[in-house]
Amino acid sequence: MIYGDRNTGILVQGATGQQGAFHIQYMNAYARSVGGRGVVAGVTPGKGGQEVHGVPVYDSVRKAVADHDIGAAVIFVPAAAAPDSIMEEAHAGIPVIVAITERIPVHDTMKAIAYARMEGAAVIGPNCPGLISPGEVKLGIIPAHLASRGPVGVISRSGTLTYEVIHELTRAGIGQSTVVGIGGDPVIGQTFTDVLERFRHDPATKAVVVIGEVGGALEEEGVAATALPVVGYIAGVSAPPEKRMGHAGAIVEGGEGDAASKIRRMEALGVPVAQRVAEIPALVKELL
Amino acid sequence: MRLLECEAKEIYARYGIPIPKGVRVKAGEKIPDLAGIGPELVLKAQVEVGGRGKAGGILPATPADAARVAEELFRKEIRGVPVREILIEEKLPIRHEYYLSILVDRSTRQPLILFAEAGGVDIEQAAKETPGAVRRVTISPLLSDVPPFALRDLLGGRVKEFGPVVNRLWKVFREKDAMLAEVNPLVTTDRGVFAADAKLIVDDNALGRQGITVNRDLTPREREAESHGFSYVELDGNIGVIGNGAGLTMATLDLIQYYGGAAANFLDVGGGADQERVKHAVRLVAGRPGVLVILVNLLGGITRCDDVARGILDAGVPQTVMVRLAGTNEEEGKKILDGRGYPMFATMDEAVKAAVEAGA
Repeated sequence: MIYGDRNTGILVQGATGQQGAFHIQYMNAYARSVGGRGVVAGVTPGKGGQEVHGVPVYDSVRKAVADHDIGAAVIFVPAAAAPDSIMEEAHAGIPVIVAITERIPVHDTMKAIAYARMEGAAVIGPNCPGLISPGEVKLGIIPAHLASRGPVGVISRSGTLTYEVIHELTRAGIGQSTVVGIGGDPVIGQTFTDVLERFRHDPATKAVVVIGEVGGALEEEGVAATALPVVGYIAGVSAPPEKRMGHAGAIVEGGEGDAASKIRRMEALGVPVAQRVAEIPALVKELL
Repeated sequence: MRLLECEAKEIYARYGIPIPKGVRVKAGEKIPDLAGIGPELVLKAQVEVGGRGKAGGILPATPADAARVAEELFRKEIRGVPVREILIEEKLPIRHEYYLSILVDRSTRQPLILFAEAGGVDIEQAAKETPGAVRRVTISPLLSDVPPFALRDLLGGRVKEFGPVVNRLWKVFREKDAMLAEVNPLVTTDRGVFAADAKLIVDDNALGRQGITVNRDLTPREREAESHGFSYVELDGNIGVIGNGAGLTMATLDLIQYYGGAAANFLDVGGGADQERVKHAVRLVAGRPGVLVILVNLLGGITRCDDVARGILDAGVPQTVMVRLAGTNEEEGKKILDGRGYPMFATMDEAVKAAVEAGA
């Protein structure tokens, strides 16, 4: 458990919205199945006093934390409001903030993350599916039925590709300690380096799968800074330069951040890199 | 989205960064009187690609022969991009060229300012050849000004000369949602400091609030796709691809290449795609000439496989649609397509192999 466990009380920002309400249901169904606390409070300014699937809604994070012990927040509000939500939660002292929201302008993200860091909060995302520690806690939208509990940590810049990988791992009988989707934007809070550092202190994690993609150098930087056994996979080997491949951050720019150079650098560090997703379980088994 | 040099310069000028005297001319327009600009001129093709100078997109001229040189430029393509507009500028009496830029640094999650004493050249190359040639300072995005200590770190003894320009570019960077604001070269002359060239890339997620309605980096078909909420990129192959999620779709393209095929496109239908969206996606991909086969690879989380199956059926395109569906309501989805001529596969690898064979 690296960002929370079954005792973590969760706050959902944007609780009365369609996405927020939908995922409160799923997060709480998961919490019930593992004996966890789940979502204990929701926040939507102006909707205080309502309930969403039995969860009390507050006008502000400050009011919610006064009534509940909250260890993590999940944000489902639109892009224009999400940076404010990140700062509001950090200001209220919530240590883990998961921003699902996509299409936030990068400058807003930079400011919100800088502010959250000053308040000592870890931001996961934005533009991410959140995380799941199987058997403990789900913070976000990762489909819980694909995951299974075990010794392998998973870190990914993607959503559905992460689901594909944990689906393959689970089918191969390899369970996961925690699966973290760190987000597909150019600027994100927790990077591979940060999550790998948490995994290093996590007794449940024996090896980690790093799922990267074109753009930036966060994968190589993270792998270079950890002593944990790692298996890599980089999406975008066939991606043309200067084209944004769906994610705002998935772009080979100025000849940098291409898949081949990432794979080369990871392999130079002794990390096996899978060419296909289907190869990942076998490579992981060799490390365990 | 990358702005044209002339657009970037107009913005810089509004923020008090001196730019050379000049005038914009579109293809087909009459060249205006150039006497007021200067005795020696530079004509610069306005295209959103790098390496313009090396590709012959910048030509010297005089007011007397400017019309002829302009005609020559308008006939050119610069690295495949036709010249639709040129910028006619005075030739500056340059003393020295410097490099200055501010960019979003992914590793530190903060803005990074770069300054080099040797500008006008390939800056990546210069940085590699002479370590320390490019000075770098990260600045908190929460600061409205570049603090004096950072200017001293960045500029050494040239704070007085360049400090104001750095702060004005910082303002441009912040207020224009820039991913990159670059001046290369930043030049010194007898008349002071000038931005001889300008490059400004605006965050695609901020185009709306910057008043930019059309993303010119996209092709018309890519723009149509965007209006449906799809992420779409055109490629050169014959296998149309539809996936959900950018990473999974990219991985699908990579797998096509791995098995020796070539994808015609990247199309991410996005999260929670319903019947209508899937129908539009299949038709959009099928509508491109040269697409022989279509591969749909969807992993349902929020997306329901039965919705996807109905969307594929509704689209009713002439090409064979290979389908790999997994996740929520997978069995219902398969039932809908069963026996209707849609080959279905349990794994990504099987589906891709079949699509590559069909495309070969």
